[in-house]
Amino acid sequence: MIWRIIPLTVNKASVNMAIDSAILDEVSAGRSPPTLRLYRWKPSAVSIGYFQSVNEEVNIEACRKKRVDIVRRITGGGAVYHSYDGEITYSVIIPESYEGIPKDIISSYEVICRGIIKALTWLGLKAEFKPVNDITVDGRKISGNAQTRRKGVILQHGTILLDLNIKEMFNVLKVSKEKISDKLIKAVEERVTSLTNVTGMKPDFTKISQLLIKGFSESLKFTYKFNSLTPAEEKLAGEYDKKQFSSTEWVFRR
Amino acid sequence: MNKAELKVKGGKLIKCSVEIEGNCIKTIRYTGDFFLHPEEYIEKLENELTGIPASPETIKTIIEEFFKNTEITLIGASAEDFVKVTFNCLEAH
Repeated sequence: MIWRIIPLTVNKASVNMAIDSAILDEVSAGRSPPTLRLYRWKPSAVSIGYFQSVNEEVNIEACRKKRVDIVRRITGGGAVYHSYDGEITYSVIIPESYEGIPKDIISSYEVICRGIIKALTWLGLKAEFKPVNDITVDGRKISGNAQTRRKGVILQHGTILLDLNIKEMFNVLKVSKEKISDKLIKAVEERVTSLTNVTGMKPDFTKISQLLIKGFSESLKFTYKFNSLTPAEEKLAGEYDKKQFSSTEWVFRR
Repeated sequence: MNKAELKVKGGKLIKCSVEIEGNCIKTIRYTGDFFLHPEEYIEKLENELTGIPASPETIKTIIEEFFKNTEITLIGASAEDFVKVTFNCLEAH
């Protein structure tokens, strides 16, 4: 099966999540091939997990001030700050029956994450999968991943941190002002890292994208063509954006 | 509104909030960074617990029975963790 790769695009948060849902529907209907897409978020955004409370996790006022978008994902997991300058997000969208993908969700995280680990290895890094859904370098988290299974399709999306501004992150996530102390920042620095931290220089977005494409295609053993969304996906994405991901009802439902 | 949270060792965080009216659960909500597949089942669980007497035995039975459903996969927490956080929540004031 020839995959489709949608190379690095830049979208606002609700559109990014709407595109994932649109592709999921079309892969489910058998009209779109297995797909890998890479994207960035502009403006920078906070995404929260399906089960999270927006009021408990996000400093809504700070997001308004800094013009940071807020979106709820259809996947579980935690709140993520997607800085436009500091990260690349990927989505892998494949049928559940795809050869070589374990039925067991936890095992399938690891299989899909191998593509990222390969890419990081080519940068000279010792990257490891850390169950349930993280990838670490030198014991520090550099990539977080989340998966859902709907309509017979697996959607796994995740982030690779290129650069990390902890103060900026804490400004938009709900951590009390007193807690944003030097001590806490140090504790986070010990648990989270970025490609800039581990390689000593900020990597190029194009280069990382190319490595991720190579990593995923080698680890999942697929050939691919570059392509964009189909007209049907474009239309569906527009609908999902408007009816679901941009709606206050969806974002604030928990 | 009663609130409690539970950080599962080696797992995720579950938060629970419960509103009691009379001796019954008026509303109940679970939030957190755990994974539950299919995701919509969280609302089913909350619906099953709504309106029932706030007794530990009843709650424990409903939660345990709920997660026995083989269609459900819970990651980063267990049925017992949901029971525990709900009990903690009922005791919180």
